[in-house]
Amino acid sequence: MNALHQAGVRHLLRHPAQLALALVGLALGVGTIVAVEVATESSRRAFELSLEAVNGPATHQITGGPRGIDERLYVRLRAQSFGSSPPLFAPVLAGYVAIGERTMQLVGVDPFAALELAGEGRAPGVPDPATDGLDTLRDWLTEPGAVVMSATAASELGLATGRRLELLVGGVPRPATLIAQAAGAGPGLDGVLLTDIAQAQEWLGATGRLSRIDVRLPAGAPGEELLARLRMQLPPSLELRATRAQLRETLAMTDAFTTNLKAMSLLALLVGAFLIYGAVSFAVLQRRPIMAVLRALGATRGQVLGLVLAEAAALGIVGAACGVLLGLVMGRGLVGLVSQTINDLYFVVAVREMSVPAVSLVAAAGGGVLTALAAALLPALEVAASAPQLGLSRSVLERRALHLARSLLVVGASLAAGAGLLVWVSGRSLLAGFATLFMLLLGVAAVTPAALRALALAAARLSVRLGPVARLACRDIAGSLSRTGVAVAALGMALTAMIGVAIMVQSFRESLREWLIQALRADVYVSAPAAGEDSGRRLDPEVVRSLLAVPAVRTHSESRRVVVPSPHGPLDVNAVRLAPESYAGVRFTQASATSAWREFARGAILISEPLAWRLQLAPHDTLTLTTASGPRAFPVAGVYREYGNDRGEVLMGLDEYRRLWDDDSISGLGIYLAPGVEARVAAGVLRAAARGRQALFIRSNADIRALSMRIFDRTFVITRVLYWLAAGVAAVGLVSALLAWELQRSRELAVLRSLGLTPRSTALLVLAQTVFMGIAALAAAIPAGLLTAMVLTEVINRRAFGWQIDLHLSPAQFLDALWLALGAALAAGAYPAWRSARAPLAPGMREE
Amino acid sequence: MGRRHARIPIGAALAAGVACAMAGGAGSTPQAGGFAQALSPRAFAFPRDHGPHREFRQEWWYVTSNLEAATGERFGFELTFFRFALAPDAAPDAAQRPVSGVATPPPSSAWRTRQIYMAHFALTDVAAGRFRFARKLSREALALAGAQAAPFRVWIDDWSLEAAPSAAVKADKPAAHAPGVVASGATVSGATWTLRAAQPGYEVDLVLEPLTPPVLNGEAGFSRKSAEPGDASFYYSIPRLEVRGRLVRDNHPVAVRGLAWFDREWGSGALGAREVGWDWFALQLNDGATLMFYALRNRDGTRDRHSAGTWVEPSGASRPLTSEQVAIDVLDHWSNARGTRYPSSWRIRVPSLSLEVGVRPVLADQEFRSTPTYWEGAVDVSGTRGGAGIAGRGYVELVGYAAERSSPRATGAKALLGR
Repeated sequence: MNALHQAGVRHLLRHPAQLALALVGLALGVGTIVAVEVATESSRRAFELSLEAVNGPATHQITGGPRGIDERLYVRLRAQSFGSSPPLFAPVLAGYVAIGERTMQLVGVDPFAALELAGEGRAPGVPDPATDGLDTLRDWLTEPGAVVMSATAASELGLATGRRLELLVGGVPRPATLIAQAAGAGPGLDGVLLTDIAQAQEWLGATGRLSRIDVRLPAGAPGEELLARLRMQLPPSLELRATRAQLRETLAMTDAFTTNLKAMSLLALLVGAFLIYGAVSFAVLQRRPIMAVLRALGATRGQVLGLVLAEAAALGIVGAACGVLLGLVMGRGLVGLVSQTINDLYFVVAVREMSVPAVSLVAAAGGGVLTALAAALLPALEVAASAPQLGLSRSVLERRALHLARSLLVVGASLAAGAGLLVWVSGRSLLAGFATLFMLLLGVAAVTPAALRALALAAARLSVRLGPVARLACRDIAGSLSRTGVAVAALGMALTAMIGVAIMVQSFRESLREWLIQALRADVYVSAPAAGEDSGRRLDPEVVRSLLAVPAVRTHSESRRVVVPSPHGPLDVNAVRLAPESYAGVRFTQASATSAWREFARGAILISEPLAWRLQLAPHDTLTLTTASGPRAFPVAGVYREYGNDRGEVLMGLDEYRRLWDDDSISGLGIYLAPGVEARVAAGVLRAAARGRQALFIRSNADIRALSMRIFDRTFVITRVLYWLAAGVAAVGLVSALLAWELQRSRELAVLRSLGLTPRSTALLVLAQTVFMGIAALAAAIPAGLLTAMVLTEVINRRAFGWQIDLHLSPAQFLDALWLALGAALAAGAYPAWRSARAPLAPGMREE
Repeated sequence: MGRRHARIPIGAALAAGVACAMAGGAGSTPQAGGFAQALSPRAFAFPRDHGPHREFRQEWWYVTSNLEAATGERFGFELTFFRFALAPDAAPDAAQRPVSGVATPPPSSAWRTRQIYMAHFALTDVAAGRFRFARKLSREALALAGAQAAPFRVWIDDWSLEAAPSAAVKADKPAAHAPGVVASGATVSGATWTLRAAQPGYEVDLVLEPLTPPVLNGEAGFSRKSAEPGDASFYYSIPRLEVRGRLVRDNHPVAVRGLAWFDREWGSGALGAREVGWDWFALQLNDGATLMFYALRNRDGTRDRHSAGTWVEPSGASRPLTSEQVAIDVLDHWSNARGTRYPSSWRIRVPSLSLEVGVRPVLADQEFRSTPTYWEGAVDVSGTRGGAGIAGRGYVELVGYAAERSSPRATGAKALLGR
């Protein structure tokens, strides 16, 4: 075996370019997976840390509805005697504040309770008399606007201890003083601004209210008993749940998003697998004569098989290792995009530290090695099965490749049929949706070599008139499937994914745009920056009065956006009082508008598509929400289209909401202007009316649309980055395969030149061939891409979010793919073309 | 920094820490910083003075007690409530100042306060050889913690010392008295208090009945701690309260009875510059007499001349004791695991009373390891008075032994609180 391995190693070392390209392909594939893993995991971890930063050791939390919890409940719990192993309680009022451009979570705590719950020294940032002395505690309680932030955040904001700063809380400027910095607090605190609970209540306009009560229960049976006892005491509108469950629920919001990302990263590895296959099979083919000699010298089939697989494994290990390193680097870049998206769509998170999940690294690396082995298995079996005689001639090889291409046609067709069947039977499973997608892509890859050949032969027939050289070029492609088939297949697959994603994104974008035009009926929208965590945005009633007193205001809609607890977890509720014009903004996908609005007026709710999908609700079902006086089932009157919220939302009447939740705040206004008043001008007037009292978002209809589109585009940046990565892998593969092929046939080219072809024509010939292959891959990818787009919109998006998206097609969606195909082809052809044109004839001929 | 070395007025180490922290380099005297000062004797009235004196910086309610179960098992406990103000109470202050241009100033939160309460609960289980302690710290807000005179109540969460409902009715007519005159026993000794506290393993739920009216210590309740005018407090005691009730040990209730001692003190000052701590004795003799004495210790190891005490006859008649009248010999020492050495056995002689007693802890380790760390424990008393044998029980507090770890610079809060 030693001799065998030495032969193998020497062969690989003699072809460093080929080796390098295979490694790059694999490394990119593994790297993409690792990068996505690192980016999503870091974002999740950052969120976990920020939750743990305050009252980390809490085992449970008491949470309430939109208005939070009455602080008197906390006092009652505190005053109770729970015996000798009592639960510990700590009040929290959280919200958001802006310091300059930066949004931070404002967390109001009671230092005494927080320290008792966390244990001494375990509540960073909270003044601890035992370690910080009393000065900090005194400042905390007596200094107006006292806040504490992590040393990292302070240095980023350029703040020193003792410095005054201005906060924007719900749009209202508030003076504050940085009284201390939490040193060594860990990254969880970097997005947090700590203050006293009294200060938080005053700033957030929530006197008497708490966001939550953190609870620490003893472990085991006493804890269970206390839990039961506490549950009995709580009013029905409050929930007492394990902190872990709460965390899981919040993180679960991003599940569909991260699944999508991971699937995209898997695509890159899949493309990488084709590259390995190409590289290994090429290496095997090149060494056929040697293998045959080895077999003739007595090497068994097993030994030959082992040799090839060992090579692939070695390749896989090196490639995977490089991929992991590459992924860690790429992850740093990707994490910004991922956390931006999470901030845009889900919750505020500041990622300060990369988390590198060891298990995921091992899995990604293992996946890389397995992929390499799987890719090598086919060529390995093939070479091991061949008879111990001198290698096969090229013609036999090509005949085999042709045969293979034909059987792959069958495979491809069955994959496509399988994909169709899977969609049919798998119901709501997102995972099955992705399986469908991958089957489809593999099917495309399987069909591509045959398609390439057919195209090439057809082109050969058509190009008769163009002269023998053109015909030769085409037939040459058709006859070299063993070399070019795999690379073209990989490219075809990447192009398919690219086209599919481009169509999906564009269709989504168009649907969103149309929906925005329909849904945003008012001329100007007013909302407050989010301040409270649960109660969300709130407009100062005085400010509302002055806004509505502006003469240009003809009529208006009011809305209150809140998060309401329910048996299904917290749900977004949009309570509205609509202006007559606004009704047309709701487009029903289920139920008729007339009947739905009639029921709505009687207290029924409307739900958005994603919510209907997630909770499997349809009109005439009921949805239970936890009101201020406990759970209440609401009839669902209709399902409407809404792209603003991928978790879905509930639309209910504002009066109904106020009655049931005892909350008369407003978070937004939709203002209709008198005829002839321009929105931009009116927005300026309205802004002036609110100036100095509350910094509001006052935006014209067009501004909101533009902003929404910007956020949408930002959200899909990652998707684009990932598909370009997959495409990059494919391009590298094509370059490597074509390079190898062209270099191999330098003899043929020399013959052609000796027959009178000019160097320029030779170069053109080579370029034309590679471009042809690029176009062939594109030709296969266009119909397949359309199909993929349908799977993405109808299956993946629907299953992930419940959205229905109308397919929109435009030539632009295919342009990226076209550029990629041509670019890869030209890049692959450039060097061989240049070389074949310049190569002296004699050495090329001598090979004969 | 020119701060004087101010160590802990009785028990309220934390309060003293605040005092020093607040002094913030303002000269050599821990100035009052807007607080009222104990400068001369005042008129005491009860139950008014059982309630808080928020104009002073610090204040405490101190109950120590020796208990016995029917089986003869012995227990001791300490339950102390401290109040201290981080800053003098002020009218709605700068925090509420409307920001220019903002329409409506936010309403004030009920959590806003400058008053902080701390409570210590220690339990000595003699038979089990256990000493257990716990601490609570809270703000005076939303009735989470606080103190009031009528009806009398001081509490943090579910730990409390308060007038039993029937007593509350009697207590609603407080009367002022001339300095040094104690309210009649009718209003005070008739009052019944309840006391409740719990920590892992132990709960107490007790009824306290004062057997004597409040006794004013020092100069009619004005107790000087050094020659410095502000270093003083108002100080009274109820040296004998009958205790009945229930102690729950590891979820098993035990009926207990015994005697308690109640100490009250408030002021805004600290100890003198040379003083490092004190040894406080509160002894209840079985003939009904009680002896209280605090020995203020100077840095050089000598006893400060402001040390003082009070002798109360079984009849209730009291007389102050000066430092010269009381001799104390330390007979033994006990060291904790960190090497802090406490005196742990004494001979106390008061020749003017022909009293000579030995005082011995019921358990060597009764060190309350918190912020600050001090020793406070149940003791046994035995000796002679006027030649006749006498015995008793009591509590001893040893402060200022454990803080020596901190750097000499850290005379403020850190010295007292640093761990």
